[in-house]
Amino acid sequence: MTVVNALDIGLAALVLALAAWTVAAREAFAAAVGYVAYGLLLSLVWVRLFAVDVALTEAAIGSGVTGVLLIRAAARLRGATPALDEPLAPPLRFLAGVLCAMVAGALAATVLLMPDPAPTLAPQAVGNLPSTGLGNAVTAVLISYRAFDTMLEKVVLVLAVVGVWSLAPDACWGGSPGAPRPARPEAALAFLAQVLPPLGIVVGIHIFWVGADEPGGAFQGGAILAAMWMITMMAGLTEAPPVSSTRLRLVLVSGPAVFLAIGLAGVVIAGGFLAYPSGSAKPLILFIEAFMTLTIAATLPMLVAGPPEQPPQP
Amino acid sequence: MTGFLLSAAGFILLTVATGLVRILRGPGDCDRMMAAQLLGTGATAALLLVASATGAPGAVDVALGLALLAAFASVAFVNSAAPPEQNLNNEAGVE
Repeated sequence: MTVVNALDIGLAALVLALAAWTVAAREAFAAAVGYVAYGLLLSLVWVRLFAVDVALTEAAIGSGVTGVLLIRAAARLRGATPALDEPLAPPLRFLAGVLCAMVAGALAATVLLMPDPAPTLAPQAVGNLPSTGLGNAVTAVLISYRAFDTMLEKVVLVLAVVGVWSLAPDACWGGSPGAPRPARPEAALAFLAQVLPPLGIVVGIHIFWVGADEPGGAFQGGAILAAMWMITMMAGLTEAPPVSSTRLRLVLVSGPAVFLAIGLAGVVIAGGFLAYPSGSAKPLILFIEAFMTLTIAATLPMLVAGPPEQPPQP
Repeated sequence: MTGFLLSAAGFILLTVATGLVRILRGPGDCDRMMAAQLLGTGATAALLLVASATGAPGAVDVALGLALLAAFASVAFVNSAAPPEQNLNNEAGVE
């Protein structure tokens, strides 16, 4: 057994053990921290599988943004009485166990019974890369081959924000999301929130920009930018904009709107919805991605901040 | 050289695995959070070592992202998860 094999087996064992523990943990906060740690280790696994794009997304979304969301949710639920404390009736428990085992068994069977070599479109995806002008096959799949899916994903993000905002009490509609910021920000937190964003913004834009040719892209870059905005809000240096802000709403819809506009223009210019005219595919893709990055950078903090909880300021 | 880099990565993972015990057993929320922080640092280091040993392209960007966001969860923790009476305790833990 070589060193690299031992490393991979050790890593897989760590991830499995942590996942099992996170599922079994009785306390919400402990499970949330376990999940953050699980995300960190999982991004290492993705790098070992040479799926660096996925590793970046896992680091940014899996452990970063989702971790913050879960930790805040766990903190909020701490005071509440747990509704699920009474154990399920034994027959129901048994049924739930059988159902879980069936789902797990079906998944395992699908993976184990896959033909060898597994069916793949990877050669075609790489073969058609020159027509897009891109160097990263993952970005080509996302923005060119399967552009429709990606566009709908961005629409879903905007719908998610609408869903969160619609939980606002009537009196607070038009106000800022989240609780009022603390009067005196904690010194260490404020320092971190001042030092980190300048670096983070550069890294976020870098990851968006290299996405055309190397692992990276709008989602990963946007998520890092979103994290930087969230840090300044959580440290109390800035306040979330009111949900009635026109600028905020424009940024939220700009990604899907630009994507849709260019897609419709493709009907006239390139002869198909979401088709790019040959030769100018790459600039158009980067243009769409730039607006998508902006939308993601605004959407994720709004999702984490939650519905408006303060009445609008006159 | 590759073997050395990978062994170093393995060693770091081992220390991280030791830190995992703190996440699993607690007892306090602070202990769990700090262990997760250690894991973030360790994972970044292991990632860089493995990447330079196996030559995975773009792995340095993942390490950059991890380094930026590893501290992120603890910000949320200090911000909201800490009940008021534990504040003193937390400040000691963060600094």
